[in-house]
Order: sequence, then structure tokens, then C-alpha cells
Amino acid sequence: MTISNGRSIDYNALVKPDAVHGDCYIDPDIFADELKKIYGRGWVYIGHQSEIPNAGDYVRKWIGLQPVIFSRDKAGKYHVLFNRCTHRGASICQHDKGNVGGFRCEYHGWFFRLDGALQAIPYQEGYGDNFDRTQYNLRRPPRMDEYRGFVFASLSASGIPLREHISGPARQQIDYACDLSPEGELVVQSGATKLAYNGNWKLQMENSIDGYHPNFTHRSFISTLERLTGSKVEIFSGDAKTQSRDLGMGCSNIDSRRANSEHPHAQARLKMMQGTSWGKKYYDDLVAAHGKERAEEVLIVNGTHMNVFPNLVVLAGQVRTIQPISTERTEVYLRPSLLKGVPDEVNTQRIRQYESFYTTVGGGIHDDVEMFNRVHEGLRCNQDPWLVFRRGLHREQTDNDGTIFSQGTDETAQRGMWRHWKSVMQQDVN
Amino acid sequence: MSSLREKVENFLYKEARLMDENRYMEWFELFADPCLYWLPANEEDYDPNKHASLFYGDRNIVNNHVIRLSEGNAFAQEPRSRMRRVVSNIEIEDGGEEISVHANFIINEIRKHEQRYHTGRTHYKLAPADGSFKIKYKKAILVSLDEMQENLTFLV
Repeated sequence: MTISNGRSIDYNALVKPDAVHGDCYIDPDIFADELKKIYGRGWVYIGHQSEIPNAGDYVRKWIGLQPVIFSRDKAGKYHVLFNRCTHRGASICQHDKGNVGGFRCEYHGWFFRLDGALQAIPYQEGYGDNFDRTQYNLRRPPRMDEYRGFVFASLSASGIPLREHISGPARQQIDYACDLSPEGELVVQSGATKLAYNGNWKLQMENSIDGYHPNFTHRSFISTLERLTGSKVEIFSGDAKTQSRDLGMGCSNIDSRRANSEHPHAQARLKMMQGTSWGKKYYDDLVAAHGKERAEEVLIVNGTHMNVFPNLVVLAGQVRTIQPISTERTEVYLRPSLLKGVPDEVNTQRIRQYESFYTTVGGGIHDDVEMFNRVHEGLRCNQDPWLVFRRGLHREQTDNDGTIFSQGTDETAQRGMWRHWKSVMQQDVN
Repeated sequence: MSSLREKVENFLYKEARLMDENRYMEWFELFADPCLYWLPANEEDYDPNKHASLFYGDRNIVNNHVIRLSEGNAFAQEPRSRMRRVVSNIEIEDGGEEISVHANFIINEIRKHEQRYHTGRTHYKLAPADGSFKIKYKKAILVSLDEMQENLTFLV
């Protein structure tokens, strides 16, 4: 039982093993409680280091509803700073991104360095002789950490380290995405699709690791693929070898390792990609960097398709951030990820693949968004307020690494997310 | 004899009407072979092989897209957007074999009871063909290219 806004919310009753109550999506008190407990304490994804490659670079981001600046100082260190002048509260950064020598609050001229230190105040003598400028440095989240370029922050000074929030098996998935680069690095600086929908942020998180919907929601895209390849697309069928996997701590994925490595054409695909000079160079460079076994493993697995709770999605060619606004509104930032140190053609191919599905004009993401809007409309019906997540509950297994998995169209991944959500929401927070 | 301006205007109005009426297969017939259709994202100009666009495609990619839109299972267009485009501020440079045209557009769109406006400026490179034109190049730059966007699957 938890108190929120003077009200009791029994999260145990709202999240059952096989169903979730609609209030978890549309109740504003629950949303406010999420901002406190999930976004106000736990690890939240900020951005990728490569978004700010040079000294002086910055981008605006959010932790929950709080605006922050993700900046890189002259020594090359990155920072997460609240976008709020410590004097009278004005936001100090007006552009979504840029390159600056520091941040000047244009209200009264206070000037902050890229690391947030207050450097200059106009007419400082007005504050007396014992004025300590360091008292008014830009505020920052108490904790910050990164894994392979993905930077996270937490508004709580205590709590589990990032490497526990992102479990070993979850980190392994991120590794699959990064190790497609011979230098082991993703580069996230090729623009963004920015889209908004009517509905709760968790609708996008649930959908990102949903292996049940593609054959239906994306019928038109699948038809296009089938027309182009001349064969039936079977990766999302009820008997496919893909797996829905709960990685722990609310992280989950659609796991294609088995499906792709046992695919009858797996070896042929490796040969085919070496059919061009740039494909051959990419293959050779990857083998030189990671060894033949690992290189072929990552090429066959081909990235990942995962969620990092609560607001990051890592796909084969894309990094996606989910930005809650209210129970009625969510913003999503989709950014193509390129591979460092590969022939240009490899990255251009990633961009073209991204565009085919993931833009507001493209062939896929807005069919998902359409479904979020439809769920949001359906949630107004309260005669049966439950959303059913029981698919595959009877056939889940625990893997050697402790993760729980089931067939690819099952809802194991979503159940993992919701189990973690419930455990976080049941915590008492002042 | 109609002037070049009249011919260009008639062509742009026809293109707008075909898009307004979801007649995508007929719209596709306006394109030359080869052709390029580009809707930039975030910025007006960049190397499209290094930066993602809302759409960047040759004839094959455009063709696949209009087939997808025409088959009836593209749910982001189910129901379809009702639209009317206004095309204006037309500037023409007559290059003979290639006519460069810039034009502003306003799209009034209603889908599922919500009315939206989408505006921008298009750059066309047109090739004269059979008394009219074929589109060799169309680059439509939305005013909202770097903003939060909603469903634009009806094409711009």
C-alpha cells in the first residue's frame, strides 16, 4: 500500500501476474507517483556520449519532466546539469543543441562553465565580500554513470549501481549492438525522428519488445518485405525461434540469437555480405578486431532489440528514448545509430533501413503509434479495465543466466517490465 | 499556347490534387525514371548518406511506399487523412531540359476528428515530357522538420 497525493494506491492489486489494470496508464496520481519513484530515484537514460563529441557541445534532455543539459567540457568530460539558473530559476539553455563556451543566463547575466561551475556574476560586489560563488554552481543529479557510451543519471544519492540496474545478460545485449563496430562504438549523431502520441509512455515500452504484433500491426510493411524478397517473412510467427526474454530489473528483449544462428541461411548471409568490396572490408575489419568467432556471432545475431527500464530502447540500428509528458501524452525520440570505423556504405545502409520504418513518414512506426492511440481510447472503457498479458505464461523457462524466456510472440518481456514496475512503485518514498 | 508558368502551375495543382485524394499510384506516375524524393529531417540540407531523413528514396523506394499505402493495411492511414493542399509562391527557373521550381505548400489535414496544418517549401526539378512534366527531383522541406511530429504517412 502506498500513499500518493493523499491517496492509497494498492499496486499489488493493479498488477497481477497475467494482467495490468488500466489505471496504470491513465490515472494522473499514478503518473505523478511514477515521476517520483521511477524517474525521481532510479537510473534514467540521458543520452549517448557520441551526441556531444566535441568540447563545448551540448544537447537538451530530460529526467522525467525536469530539463537537463548534457554537455562536454573543455577537458572532454561529459556532464548532466539542470537547465535552471541557480539565481532566479530561468532556463539557461534555449536551443536543443549547440556548441558554446559556457552557459550565460540572459536574465541577469550569470555565466556558468560547461561543467556547471558558476564563473562570473555581473556586479559581484553586490553580494558582499564573503560571497562563495561555488555555492551557486548549476545543480546536477547526485549520480551519473555510463555503459558503452549510454549515459544514465539518478536523482537519488543512494541505490544500486548502474551495472546492477543493467544486468549482465542485459549488458550482453547492448554489447551485441556495439560490437557490430570494429571499434566497439556506436555513433548517434545522424538526426532524430521526434514523434508524439496520445497515451502513456509505457505503451511504447511494451510495444518495443512485443514480438506478437508485427504480423498484424505491420501487415503492410511485412507485405512489402515479402513482395521484395519473394518469400514469406516468418520471424514473427507463433512457432518462430525468436524468444521473448525478461532480462531482470524491468529490462527485456526480443531475442533473435537462436533464430538467427540456427537459420538455414545464416552462413549464406555471412558469405553474401562479403559480396561487395566494402562488405568484405567490413567483415575483415570486424574479424581483425573481435576474432572470427565473435565477429561472426555478432554479424549473425545482428544487434539487439531491447528495453532498458524505464526509457531506453536499443535496436539493431537505432537508439530510442521515451519521454513521459502526462497520462495523455508521450514523446519519443528515435535516433539512427551508426557504427564507428566501418565503410560508409555500411552506415548508409543502416540509415536507409531506419528511414524505411522509423520516421513519421516511413512504413512502420506510425502503425505502432496508431495502436497506442487506439489503446488510449479503449482505456476509457471501465467495465473490464484489465489489459491481459498472459500469453505464454504456461511455457516460460528460466535460462542458465537467470533470465526468463518463452516463445517470441509471448508476453514474457512485458511481464518482466511490469513486475519490476510494481516493485519500484511499491517502495515508500518521502 | 500556354506559358511555362501556366504549365508548371497546372502540373503542381494536379500533383497536389492526386495527393489530396490519396491517388498514390497515379501520383507515382508523375515521377521520372530515375527520380529522387526527399523529405529532410532536423535540418534543411545535409549529406543524406550520413544523416537520416523523413524520406529519402529513389524510384523503387517510392514505388514500394505507394504500394504499401494503396494496399489497405497501412493502419496509420486507416481511416485515411482528408486533405486539401494549397500551393503558392511559385518561382520558376527555366533551364530548358530541367526546370527548377520552388513552391510553398499548406496542407490542411483532418484525421480522426483532429485538424492539423503542415506547411513548407518544395524544390522540384522537372523534365518536360509530352506537353507536361515528369518529376526528376522533389525535396519538400517542412517548417516542422525539427519539431515533434505526428502522423505524416500520407506523404508531403
